[in-house]
Amino acid sequence: MKKLISFILGSLFALNLSISVANAAANEVRVAYFLEWPSPNLEDMQKKNFAKALGVPVKWTNFTNGGAMTDAMLAGDIDISYSQGLVPFINAVKSNAPIKLVDIAMEYGMGGTTCVTSNASGITKANGSELEGKKVAVPLGTMAEYVFDESMKVVGADRSKMDIIQMDPEEGAAALVSGDVVMACLFGGNSIKAAVAVGSRLLTVQEARDAGILGIDITSVTDKFMKENPGMLRTFIEVTHEANDRYRAGKSDMNSMSKASEMKVADMKETLSGFKFLTPEETKQSMESGNLDGFLKGMGTPGGAVDTSFLPL
Amino acid sequence: MYGRRLIQTEKVDAVFGNPERAKGGTHWVIVGSAAILLVWLYYSWDIAKGFYPKSANELCQVAKINESLLGLKYQFPIEEREFKSTSIIKIENKNLQKITNEIQNSNDLNNQQKTTLVGYINKTKQLIPLLTNEDLIEMDTKIKISEMTNEIKQLSSNFKKDDYPFETEVQKNERLKGITEQGDWGIMTVRSGTGTIENTIEVPFIAETSKGLKFQAAAEELKIINDKFFKLRNHNPQFKNLIKQLKDEIKAYRKSLDDTEEIASDYAKNIVKIARRIEFASIYPPKALDDMQSAIIEFDNLQQKEQAGLRLIDILLFPAGTIVASGPSCSEQGSGRWLPKPSDTLNKFILMSKPSVGYKNIPLLWIEMIDVSSIIGFILPDWIADILPGEYPVHTSEGIVKENFKGKVLKLVTGDFKLFKIPVPYGHIWDSFLRVFLGLVFGIIIGVPLGLFMGLNRFAKGFFDPLIELYRPVPPLAWAPLIISVLGIDNTGKVFLLFMVSLSIMIISARAGASGTQLSKIHAAHSLGASKRQILRHVIFPNSLPEILTGIRVAVGMCWGTLVAAEFLAGTTGIGFVENVAKKYFQYEVIWITIFIMGMLGLLFDITLRKIIDKTIPWRGKG
Repeated sequence: MKKLISFILGSLFALNLSISVANAAANEVRVAYFLEWPSPNLEDMQKKNFAKALGVPVKWTNFTNGGAMTDAMLAGDIDISYSQGLVPFINAVKSNAPIKLVDIAMEYGMGGTTCVTSNASGITKANGSELEGKKVAVPLGTMAEYVFDESMKVVGADRSKMDIIQMDPEEGAAALVSGDVVMACLFGGNSIKAAVAVGSRLLTVQEARDAGILGIDITSVTDKFMKENPGMLRTFIEVTHEANDRYRAGKSDMNSMSKASEMKVADMKETLSGFKFLTPEETKQSMESGNLDGFLKGMGTPGGAVDTSFLPL
Repeated sequence: MYGRRLIQTEKVDAVFGNPERAKGGTHWVIVGSAAILLVWLYYSWDIAKGFYPKSANELCQVAKINESLLGLKYQFPIEEREFKSTSIIKIENKNLQKITNEIQNSNDLNNQQKTTLVGYINKTKQLIPLLTNEDLIEMDTKIKISEMTNEIKQLSSNFKKDDYPFETEVQKNERLKGITEQGDWGIMTVRSGTGTIENTIEVPFIAETSKGLKFQAAAEELKIINDKFFKLRNHNPQFKNLIKQLKDEIKAYRKSLDDTEEIASDYAKNIVKIARRIEFASIYPPKALDDMQSAIIEFDNLQQKEQAGLRLIDILLFPAGTIVASGPSCSEQGSGRWLPKPSDTLNKFILMSKPSVGYKNIPLLWIEMIDVSSIIGFILPDWIADILPGEYPVHTSEGIVKENFKGKVLKLVTGDFKLFKIPVPYGHIWDSFLRVFLGLVFGIIIGVPLGLFMGLNRFAKGFFDPLIELYRPVPPLAWAPLIISVLGIDNTGKVFLLFMVSLSIMIISARAGASGTQLSKIHAAHSLGASKRQILRHVIFPNSLPEILTGIRVAVGMCWGTLVAAEFLAGTTGIGFVENVAKKYFQYEVIWITIFIMGMLGLLFDITLRKIIDKTIPWRGKG
């Protein structure tokens, strides 16, 4: 019996220890990013400029959605998430995750995230209320859900009367093609291409812009990393903004960017054309009283999740 | 304890290896379940909540201090091995060395450029001693450091006093008002079955106890000191001059370069970057912060001593994590985060079980009154009305629609009439159950005859074998990506996926059962004059039934396993759907509830099947 008790206590102790050790920081910076979501600083990633600037190795890990980035940050495997969607970030903050928003990666018109109605259904912006009672595919908890909500306000349809089906973009596109749903909200070039083949955008890019529907991707960081390495964080953001400057000046190395984001140069350029990379001044303005601030307040985000002090002004 | 007593009194009279020894033992079931519950209670920190309901609030205040101290501590070799200044100087010297080597080995730069750039590097190097020289540190900076040191010391001496932070009556009332509003630790605020499915603030933020108040007040003061220190830079006039000069020179130099000399320009830019990093970093002379360091260590030790019993609670009752403060909220980080407390989980389960709440407007399991007419309408195909002779009624010029026979038949077959209502179950659990059930039933209906046929007939065996053997080892989820495109997002696709799972298992088990029948029995039946049909019905089928029923048990388990993934694909109902959506919103309670529901339903299925097996095939294992 003594053996049994000591075994149980021993394994409990080992378990506790192993879980807490997993959170101990290594001497490197671990960054999360997306493939097929290009940004100028990926050139620096490819050329290892971040490691040069930070003075320590930088390990980049790609993710498929922002929620997974949060999970990895909370598990202590990621320090900085670059271009996390704002909606997953807000969901995380609402569940009290200790992460902070320190920079805006990019703002984008809804060219890259949009709702497409099938031509067969005959639903357009004009008779949008006919969506009520029908099936629509929405990837819940992503930027596309936000676009869906805002678009419904524009066309005057009531979300609660619709049959909302949780579907990732690829599946949503497939369901739209097969006629299972009358509308699919999606992101990602390939999915939108497939959906537009049998349907049309509920709101054009311009209409969405006029309605103030805007996507924002952000840079988030764990509290621990922010407190322990403010200098590194500042340098990271500075290098990113330098890359953005370079892109604005048309001096970015498109080939290494396309290699880093695993896209064809032409496809990447098209995606990039929908992105707006803000200057540090614009970023600060957006974070304090502009688009980002409005977005956060509109989604009922608890305060104190935004920190502008790391911007290279 | 009960189990232990039994073990001593229990007489083990069967010899080792005899299956009798494994029979009975309900008491061990109780002990096993209790052990699971204990582990759950422990790692979800519910034991801490039960014994010390205020501990989370107090630990939240401690976490606030840790949060405020973190920025200060990291300047010193308290938790790190070296001063932050030391490590920055090391890194930047290394970077400068690297860039020097690169420049000197570069083929793209001419000698004149190399000398200029190396000159800048040397100037950048000279920046560091300007910051670390004790004689150069400004009086103003010194005063500020000693001020902060004194503030920390003052805080330490105040912190020891019992009535710190000397709260006034007004402040106290305000705090008490805040406390009544913020609720208790955990979700259970008023009574079970209230609140929302959405996440709420878990750990009360405002200090509730006098001990907590001390930590909260100290954390606030420390935060101010921390912010001040964060802004403070050891920039003396010499340093400022040199860096300004360096920046101006490099700027002028870069301007003087034309487009062909871009590489030199880039190097110059990188050098200025390093200079700016040195400017931004807090670098101080080695001894300048000694007093401050000892003051911080003193306070740190003091606050740890003040925690007293709380520290022990933190270590023992908050395994694998602790409470963490982040801006304006405290949260559980570690196992308490992803393993919700049994009490909270139960509370949310009760809440979700309410038909009016459910999940995403659909209850877990409830009944709906449905008119029989709609069932008739569903069963009767609509074309019955179409093939009748005559035309559907057309409205007259007075705007009246007159019914005719064909119109009435259409109403009947589409269920457009009123009859009596019957209750029909619906909801997430029912939908999942129905999918598994249907998949299983179709699997049995097709799989069992086919399996028997394959076990008895050479043609069937040969014809179907390659097909079955090719598709059987493919994990059913491998079909999932195709399902939406081929069968759509409705139940058809999900049921089909489950059907694929059960089919192969049923075929294999029926075939094994059929070919496993003892030849002597068949011979006996044959010699007694049984026909082929009779042999199949009375000898082979009963003999393979044990195998088939075991196959069903296996298939049920596999179907549950696949169901969740099938419902992940697309859907508006089902347990898998609930889990998938809950994951996106970090609703850990809901995730665990779905896991338990699935476990329970699977168990229920299995127990039912076991009963059926015992009832229908008493000859099992005795043939």
